Amino acid sequence: MTNSASKMRLELTGPTGKAMKPSKRPLALVATLLTAATASGHHSGAMFDSQKTLTLEGSVKAFQWSNPHCWIQLLVPSAGGPVEWSVEMGSTTELYRSGWRPRTLKPGDKVTVVVHPVRDQSPGGAFVSAAGPDGKPLGLPKKVDAS
Amino acid sequence: MRRSSQLVAAAVLAVAATHAAAGNSAKRVQAFARLPDWTGLWETELSKSITNAAGRSEVFSLGNLGGHPPYNPEWEQKYQAALTDPVAAEKQANSFKGCGVGSPEYIRSFPNIMEAPMVFQVVVTPEETLFVMDHGEVRHIYTDGRHHPGKDDLWPTPLGDSVGHWKGQTLVVDTVARTAGPVSIFGTGEVSEQAHFSEKVRLTDKDTLEDELTIEDPVRFVRPWTMKVHYSRVRDIDRLIPYDCEADRNPVIDGKLTISPK
Repeated sequence: MTNSASKMRLELTGPTGKAMKPSKRPLALVATLLTAATASGHHSGAMFDSQKTLTLEGSVKAFQWSNPHCWIQLLVPSAGGPVEWSVEMGSTTELYRSGWRPRTLKPGDKVTVVVHPVRDQSPGGAFVSAAGPDGKPLGLPKKVDAS
Repeated sequence: MRRSSQLVAAAVLAVAATHAAAGNSAKRVQAFARLPDWTGLWETELSKSITNAAGRSEVFSLGNLGGHPPYNPEWEQKYQAALTDPVAAEKQANSFKGCGVGSPEYIRSFPNIMEAPMVFQVVVTPEETLFVMDHGEVRHIYTDGRHHPGKDDLWPTPLGDSVGHWKGQTLVVDTVARTAGPVSIFGTGEVSEQAHFSEKVRLTDKDTLEDELTIEDPVRFVRPWTMKVHYSRVRDIDRLIPYDCEADRNPVIDGKLTISPK
């Protein structure tokens, strides 16, 4: 799989957008599970590199409104032809409460999607944000996280 | 013919009147009036934190609600061994799943569901209080004066057996017969089947419900383990949306979570 340089940008940022240094702490049960960089309702964020963000520009192949996760199947142009990315989102309830609806995206829609990519280099990632062709964010603004 | 119709109409009216009289008794209405109004939808801190389109929180720390589990030496040793086993830690971090194929049963158990990322509805009646979780579990806390079932009528289940009573506006809950296993969604502690759970549930303000939970375990703990969990009112939805979990696209392959392409 070859990523299109013109359609994808790689940035090394932390959750707040600030540059981050990779953690060198050894894995430990509690440290990993209780203070994980990301917490999800379904599974841990270990498979995603939360220190990296990718910006994908493409067209929607499918928008799956499902639990435990909703998914955007995004076709991203590349030199070798379109590459299909799988973008993991929250649950239907989480999306609904964030202003998304089952028909927010439909096949063929042009969107820009920011993700934390999976660590194994396959074309997939955890959803961060999305915007339509006009640059307007989709859904409601993200709420401030509890801490 | 006309007379028979009148007789039928009179009979229908009599039946309707009988049904009307079978409404709530004055005693039950008074009992309702003494109960706090917890009507509505609530969510855990974790649910509140991850309610965004990503379904993830970047900064939320699951924390350690009750601090270090008060294990006895035998179980403390097992706990420390798990802490320093990077293979086990990586395996758990990669395979943890909250629902769908591969999810452990304890995710659906009490008290884990009381801190899991869920929205739930509370129904308070004089006879019982119900915690109805959007994942489908329902906790029945009987407040009709009953005791736990006898020894021959009780066996461990994921939710255990709960009875309660009202002390003013606080619901005092007693739970036993909970299946042995982890007592936190991400496995901070493990209890035996002999664990005893005490809860004090009350409103701390009109939009915050507090559950003070104390766990005693004569087999694994040296002292009671107490923690407080808080819930916030949910106002941006007006119904409990069922959380089915049938389209899990995160298979565990070779011990690692992956994304299925479809």
